[in-house]
Amino acid sequence: MSAIDAYLRELEGALRVRGRTRRRFLRECRDHLLDAAAERGQAEAVRAFGPAADIAAELDGAVATRRGLRSTVVTVAAVSATAISTLALIHSSSPGTDAPALWAIAFFVAAQVAGVAGALGAVQALAARRAAMPPADVALLARRNTCALVAAGATLFSAGAALPGHGSAMVLLAGPALLCVALVSVLRARSLARRIGGSGPSPIRSPLADLAALTRLRIPPVDAARLLPIVTCLAAAAAFARDRAEHATVGGALATASIEAAAVVACFAALGPRLGLWRRASSVDTSSWNKPAK
Amino acid sequence: MPTDLMRGHLDRLLLAVLTGAPGHGYELTQRLALRSGGELDVPEGSLYPALHRLERAGLVESSWSSSDGRRRRVYRLTRSGRRAVSESRREWHAFSAAVERVLGSTA
Repeated sequence: MSAIDAYLRELEGALRVRGRTRRRFLRECRDHLLDAAAERGQAEAVRAFGPAADIAAELDGAVATRRGLRSTVVTVAAVSATAISTLALIHSSSPGTDAPALWAIAFFVAAQVAGVAGALGAVQALAARRAAMPPADVALLARRNTCALVAAGATLFSAGAALPGHGSAMVLLAGPALLCVALVSVLRARSLARRIGGSGPSPIRSPLADLAALTRLRIPPVDAARLLPIVTCLAAAAAFARDRAEHATVGGALATASIEAAAVVACFAALGPRLGLWRRASSVDTSSWNKPAK
Repeated sequence: MPTDLMRGHLDRLLLAVLTGAPGHGYELTQRLALRSGGELDVPEGSLYPALHRLERAGLVESSWSSSDGRRRRVYRLTRSGRRAVSESRREWHAFSAAVERVLGSTA
């Protein structure tokens, strides 16, 4: 076996990307090595090409980053389309229908989780769009996108279960259809990220640091333990104000605000580690929040 | 130049050597070596992940082309790629002038 064949075999073994990209890359590497060998000999051509494992890791990382970014674009589109389908569903419900309280709570919680997870993913992708992301960050991005898509689906489902009525099938199905497409795209990105070493513990990634990197604004670092009460108070205040604007009694609006606050805390506790907001350990580790986003 | 330092600039260097004419991967390494006087030392295999990134970002496009009886993937700049080269040159001149003012200063 020639030195070039041995090198290409090693490169092929190290590559985790599959399909057309892999075939084209290997073909181009072979062409390059043959050209170089004609001028400098096989041993020198292989040496100058670089270690096979490093070159394979660079391509895997570039493809994984690209898939992560692309799946985020599709996720944002799918969540938006599902929001439109959900609004269409609500507006086409039978007049005078009152949604059962449990479905209404499920609807509001799922809608907010979809919005927050989608925004976390979008901000992370925008902040990191010009650099190669480490596999763990691609895996985190995929988790955020998956969470946004599942929650968007749950929002539509809970609205449909709570409110009987008739609407345009095209509009109602547009969201779920795009949701399925986005889920496939996200799972592909996640699968590659896991194959190249992104299956370890989820990194902690501050959305505020991403936002600061994106906008170049001086956003003060706030760790997760401090951000939670701020977000909880804001969400509860918004729920109270919305209920009062809809002519609810003070008691009723306070009850809604309490449910909202409890839902925010519960979602933060349950989904925070998956969304890279805090790490499940003996103590909450949010020290890396203050590091600038990569 | 150290390899790690070189890697950070590889994308913009590739765009720059594509400015004159399209070329396949091996040609691009030769242009890099020629224009840098052999000072820019990067594993040649790193070109292909970089070209993949640039193509996905819409800065270069490629197609298979036959010459000397062999098929090769030939890369060329897109309109966005040409704009990126101009932008990159402006940024580099500003950056290198600033570094020169600091490092070149004897005070």
